[in-house]
Amino acid sequence: MNRFFLILLIFIGLSNWASAQDFETGVSNDEIEMAKYDKDPQANAVFLNEFGNTRIDEYMDHIRLIHTYHAKIKIFTKEGLTHGTIEIPIHNGDNSAEEVNNVTGFTYYKDDNGIIQKVEFEAKKVYTVKDYKYGSTVKFALPALRPGCVIEFKYELISPYWDHFRGWTFQDDIPKINSQYEVHIPGFWNFNASIRGVLKLTKSTSEVERECFSSGGSKADCSHITYDMKDIPAFVDEDFMTARKNFLSAIYFELVEFTNPYTSVKTVVTKEWSDVDRQLKIADEFGSQVKRTSLLKERIASVIAGKTDELDKAKTLYTWIKSQIKWNDYIGIYSSEGEKKALDTHSGSIADINLTLITALNAAGLNAEAVLLSTRDHGMVNTLYPVLTDFNYVIARLTIGDQTYLLDATDPLLSFGLLPLKCINDKGRVISMTKPSYWMELSTQQKAATTHMFDLTLLDNGKLKGSIVNYYKGYDAYEKRKAIKKFNSIDEYVEDFDEKQPKLKVLKSDITNLDSLESPLRETFEVEIDAFDNTNHDKLAFNPYFWEKRTTNPFKLAERDYPVDWAYASDKRLVLVMHLPAQYTVETPPQVVAYSLPNKGGMFATTFENQDNNTFTFSNITQFNKSVYDPAEYPYLKELFNKIILTEKGDMIFKKK
Amino acid sequence: MKAFLSTLFLLSAITCVKAQDNFDVSLISKDLLPYASSVVRNEEITTEVRDFDNVLLHVKRAITVFNKNGDEDVEIGIWHNKSRIIKDVKGIIYNQYGKPVSKFSESDFDDDNSHDGFSLFTDVKIKHYRPLVTDYPYTVSYEYDVKSKQTLEFQDWQPNPSTGVAVEKSSYTFICKPDFKIRYKEVNIPSKVIIGSNKDGLKTYTWVAANLKAIKYEPFSPLRTANLSYVKIAPEKFSYGGIPGSFTNWKELGMWQYEKLNAGRQVLSPQTVSRMKELTGDITDPKQKARKIYEYMQSKTHYINISIGIGGYQPFPASDVDQQNYGDCKALVNYTQALFKTVGIDSYYCVVEAGSAKVGVFPDFASMDQGNHVILCLPFKSDTTFLECTNQNMPFGFLGDFTDDRLVFACTPEGGKLIHTPKYAAQANMEQRTAAFTIADDGGLKGSITTNFKGANYEDRDHVIYESAKEQVKDLKKIYPINNLEIESADLKQFKTAQPYTTENLKISASDYGSVADGKIIFLANPVNRLNTPLREVRNRRNDVYINRGYTDEDEITYTLPAGYKVDTRPKKVSIEKPFGKFESSTTVNGDKLIYSRKMQLIDGTYSKDTYQALVDFYQSIADADHDNVTLIKGN
Repeated sequence: MNRFFLILLIFIGLSNWASAQDFETGVSNDEIEMAKYDKDPQANAVFLNEFGNTRIDEYMDHIRLIHTYHAKIKIFTKEGLTHGTIEIPIHNGDNSAEEVNNVTGFTYYKDDNGIIQKVEFEAKKVYTVKDYKYGSTVKFALPALRPGCVIEFKYELISPYWDHFRGWTFQDDIPKINSQYEVHIPGFWNFNASIRGVLKLTKSTSEVERECFSSGGSKADCSHITYDMKDIPAFVDEDFMTARKNFLSAIYFELVEFTNPYTSVKTVVTKEWSDVDRQLKIADEFGSQVKRTSLLKERIASVIAGKTDELDKAKTLYTWIKSQIKWNDYIGIYSSEGEKKALDTHSGSIADINLTLITALNAAGLNAEAVLLSTRDHGMVNTLYPVLTDFNYVIARLTIGDQTYLLDATDPLLSFGLLPLKCINDKGRVISMTKPSYWMELSTQQKAATTHMFDLTLLDNGKLKGSIVNYYKGYDAYEKRKAIKKFNSIDEYVEDFDEKQPKLKVLKSDITNLDSLESPLRETFEVEIDAFDNTNHDKLAFNPYFWEKRTTNPFKLAERDYPVDWAYASDKRLVLVMHLPAQYTVETPPQVVAYSLPNKGGMFATTFENQDNNTFTFSNITQFNKSVYDPAEYPYLKELFNKIILTEKGDMIFKKK
Repeated sequence: MKAFLSTLFLLSAITCVKAQDNFDVSLISKDLLPYASSVVRNEEITTEVRDFDNVLLHVKRAITVFNKNGDEDVEIGIWHNKSRIIKDVKGIIYNQYGKPVSKFSESDFDDDNSHDGFSLFTDVKIKHYRPLVTDYPYTVSYEYDVKSKQTLEFQDWQPNPSTGVAVEKSSYTFICKPDFKIRYKEVNIPSKVIIGSNKDGLKTYTWVAANLKAIKYEPFSPLRTANLSYVKIAPEKFSYGGIPGSFTNWKELGMWQYEKLNAGRQVLSPQTVSRMKELTGDITDPKQKARKIYEYMQSKTHYINISIGIGGYQPFPASDVDQQNYGDCKALVNYTQALFKTVGIDSYYCVVEAGSAKVGVFPDFASMDQGNHVILCLPFKSDTTFLECTNQNMPFGFLGDFTDDRLVFACTPEGGKLIHTPKYAAQANMEQRTAAFTIADDGGLKGSITTNFKGANYEDRDHVIYESAKEQVKDLKKIYPINNLEIESADLKQFKTAQPYTTENLKISASDYGSVADGKIIFLANPVNRLNTPLREVRNRRNDVYINRGYTDEDEITYTLPAGYKVDTRPKKVSIEKPFGKFESSTTVNGDKLIYSRKMQLIDGTYSKDTYQALVDFYQSIADADHDNVTLIKGN
C-alpha cells in the first residue's frame, strides 16, 4: 500500500553458521560512568543490551513455549527511572495460563566513595495484577534506583500457547544499543517469520541443532535462528498516525504446520488461504454459526414480512439486529456465545452480532459474506500469507446487484453502510461460505460532510437575527447524533447549545432525522446573536467565518515520517446570506480565493456576491478528498491550512453610506 | 412447549421473591424526569455491627434507566479483599412495565484487580457486572451482602451521588448493640436521623431521603454543593486489622495513628544515621538542615505504591525505603521523618485530601477516611513548612495546587492536630510575560518571549521542562496559539528559592503571522495568551459561584512595525473591574512601536449565585478582546 508500511518475509537458512548466546551478566566501569548515549544524547535511558530466547520444549510433562528474557538498561535521568518498573502482560484461558518465573535482577550504581554497589532484587516482590478475564500483568520494580544506575533483569515466561510463537519488538520508546532474539524451532513445527518496520537487521543467522527436542520418545532437530539489530533509535509517535505497531521494527511468527510428536499426525494450520477458508467454514465459532440460517429464518419471518425489495429487507434486518443484541465490549473474529444465545440474552461480542447479521441476511435470501479485519489500533494485516491472529474484528459485506455494503451492527447509531472509523484500516479478507476468500480495500466511500447555512439580518440594535440550518451527513451525522444523544432529550441538547454560547440566544429550534439514520441530520435554529453593541459606528468589522474560525494549524512539524491518516474524506460548506440595515454598505468584501492540493487532493474556496445594496451571499467550501496523505503530500497539506488561516483572518468592513 | 414451561418456571420463581416491588416506569413522578438519565427507585443500605471485627453491609438498590447515558448508573462494582468479603449478589432486570425479563448472580460478575492508574499493586479486587439491555427504559434491581472485619470505617450514605440521577427513595440504617457508640456528620440532609431500636433490642439510626431531582452540572460550583447530601459515620471504639482503638476527636485519632501504625517504623541503619549527620554537619540553621536532607531524599527516592492489607494506612518501614529507594506517600513521608529525626528535627505526618479542589478535613468530625495522601510538616518556631515527599523536583517548602490552602490532619506525639496548609493568593499566582516581536512586511513574526511563573503557577511548565529539547519544541508549539510557530530556541529553568519561580525564554518566528492583502497587514494583537472558550451560561442556577484558586496573568508585547506602514486600526482599550476579577487590555503606539498589554486577574472566593451572569459576561468580554486585530496600512 505504501512504502512506510513494510512487511518482509525472512528466508530462513540462507546465512552463515553461528552460535549466538546470551550476554554475560554484570556491569562494566564504562557502563557505570556513561553520562549520556552519544547517538541520542537526550535519551533518559538506553538499553545497553537485550536478549531473548524462545524454544518449544517439554516442561513439566507438557509441550510448552519457553521464553527467556534478559535486559540491561542504563538510566541517565530521574525521568528514566520509570524504566526500572517492569510490566509483562500474560494471557490465560479458562483452563490454561501463561506464567512468569525465575525473576532475577540487579541494580548497579556507584556510591559516594566511588565503589560500584550491586543491589539484588528480592524475588518475593513480584506482583501479578489481573486486568480482565483473559489477561494479567506481572509487575516488579527494581530496587535502589537512582539516575546513573544500570539495571539488569531476567525472567522466564512459560506459555501453553505454542501456536502463538513469541515475536520480538526491536524498537522501543528508548534507544537500544543491541537487541538480539534467538528462536529454536523443532522440526515438528513450521512457522513463517515476518519483519515489520523500516530498520534493517544487522545480522540473521541460522543453524541446525541436533536432537534438541525430545518428548515421549520422539526426537527432532531444531532450526536455531538468531536475529540481531544494533543502534536502534527510539520510536517517536506523530499526531494523526495509525497504530504504532505498524511502524515499530519487530519480528512476528505465524504457525504454518505441525506434526504431533507422539502420533506423527500432521496438521496444516496455515499454508494457503484455501486452508484457512476450509478451517473457518467448519469452525463452531464461525462457519457453523453463519450456517444457522434455519434458526434465523424463524426469527426474521415477522421482521421482514411483506417486504420484497432486497435493499429494504437488508436495511430492516440491519436495524433489527442492532435493536436485538447489545455489544458486550468483547472483540474478536470468533463467536463466543453463539448466535442463539446472543439473540436470547440480547448481548454478544463483535463476532456474535455481525455473524448473526450475516446469517440473518442470508436467511432472507440475500448475499452476505463475512469480512475479517484488523482495527486501527491493532495494526495492519499481513497480506503475504494468512495470519489469522492479525485479525480482531469481523463485519458483514452485503452484495445487492452491483452494489456492495459494509455493515457493522454493533453500534446502534451507525447508519446502513457506514463503517466505524476503527474498522477503516488497510485491507480486509472476505470469507464466503461458498467461494474462495479474497482481499478487499477497507476504504470508505462515505465522507464526513457538514453544511452550515446562515440567513441573518443585522438589526439597528447591533444584533444579528435569523436562522442557522446545519446539515450533517456520513461520519459527521454519526458524530453529531452521538453528541445529541448524550442528552436526555432534544430540549436539553438545545439548552446546552444555547448556554455554551453566551452571545447567542435560541428563539426556536427543530431537529429532524435524529433517528432516521439513512437521512441527513438537520438542525434548524432561529437565533439572535449579539454581534455589535449598536449601529452608531461608521464602520463595522465582521468576520464571515465567525461560526468556526481556524486560527492555528493542526500540523506543527516541518516534515513527517508517517502518513497523515484521517480514515475518510471530508467536505465542509458554509453559505451565509446577510441583510444589512439600509444605512450600511459593504466596504471591504471577504477575500475570494481558491486554493487546492495537487491531484485533486482537496481545496479551500470562497465566493462572494452582492445581491443588492444591502444583501450579500458569501460561501465557502473546504474539502479533503483523500483519507490518507503520505509524507510527500504533507507540506502541501500544511500549506493549505496556512492559507485557510490567513484567509479566515480577514474581516469584512460594513460602512455607513 | 418446553420453552414455555421453562419461562413459566422462571417467572414464578421471581415473583415469589419480588412480589412487593412495582417498577413500572409510568409510576415515576414527572417532577423527577428533567436532566435525569436514570432514577433510583429504591435504595436501602444497612450497616449492621455485630462485633468489633464483624460488620455486615447489606445493599439493595433498584434503578430505572431511561437512555444510553444512564447505562453506567446500573453498572455494579463491589470492591473486596481479604478483610472485606462479598457474601451474596443477585439481581433482576425488568422491562418498562415492571415485568421481570432476566436475572443475574455472582457468577455473571468479572473479578479483576482495581486499577487506580498509579499503583504498582494493591490487594483490592473489584467484582463488576454491566447489565446489557437493548430496550429502554428498563430497571435493574439488585442486592448484595459484604462482610467486613473492621469497625474503623463504615459505608457513607450519598443518596444522590452524581449528576443526571434522580432519587425516588433512599434510606440508610445503621444497626449496632446499644453500647456501641457512634458519631455522625450530616451534610445537607433533608430530614434528621431517626434513632430507635429494632425487635432484637439493637439500636438503629435511620436516614431517609425522597424525591431528589437530578443535578445539572454548573461550572464554578462550591466543592460541597448545596444539593448533594451525605452522612458519614465514625465509631468510638473499633478494631482495625486486629488493632483496637478508640477516638471521639482528631486528637485521639491522631494518637492512635501515631502509636499503633507509625511507631517503630523509623529505624535506620547506623550508616544512614551517620550519613545524615555528615551531610548536615556544617549547617546550624535547622531549616537549612531540613532542606539538605529533603533534597537528599528527593535525589534518592521515587514514587511506587504497593498497598496490601492495612498498608492502606500504615507506612512501610523507613529501612525498606532506604534499601529499595522507593515507596508510596506514606512510606516516603515516614522515611523523610526518620531522616530528620537523626539530626534532631521534629516533623509531623499529615493526612490530606489532595487534588486541585481545596477539600479540607471536617474540623468538627474526626474520621479515618478524609484524606487520600500524606505530606510532612516541619513545625519550626517561627514558621511552619510543609513538604511534598513524592515529587523529586518540588522545591523545599512548596506544595503547589495539589495540597495548598486546606485543613490537614497531623499525627503528633501529643495526638492529632489540625493545621492549615499555606495559600497561594491570586496576586501570587503569576504568569508574567514580556515579548518583543518584529513584524515584517510579508506578515512574518520574529522575536523573543520571556515568561515567569510564580506561586501555584510554578509548576505550569513541569510537563515541558523535563522533556528532551525535541519534545519541548513539540509541546511549546501546542501551548502557544501562533500559526506557523517555529521555536528557534527554548530555555526553561526553575529557581527553587523561598518563593520559587520558573522562567521560560523563547526565540521564535512565524511566517505569515499577519495576513497581507491590498496594502494592509492584519494580525492578532494577542498571539500568546488568548481565552478561546467563553464561559457557558446557566439558567436557573442553584449554586453560589465558587472560584477555587485565583491567578494573575500579565502580558506585555512590544511590536516593531515594518517600515512604510502605519497603524490603521487597533484594539480599543478594555477595562473591567469586578469583585471576582479584573481585566485590562490596551495598545499604545510610539513611533514604529506598538505596545500591547493585557492583565487578567481572577480572585478566589465564594460569590452569590447572582454573580454568575457577570462572570459569564466577564469571560465573554475577555474572549472578544483577545481576538481583536491590528491592521497596518501602507504609506505614511
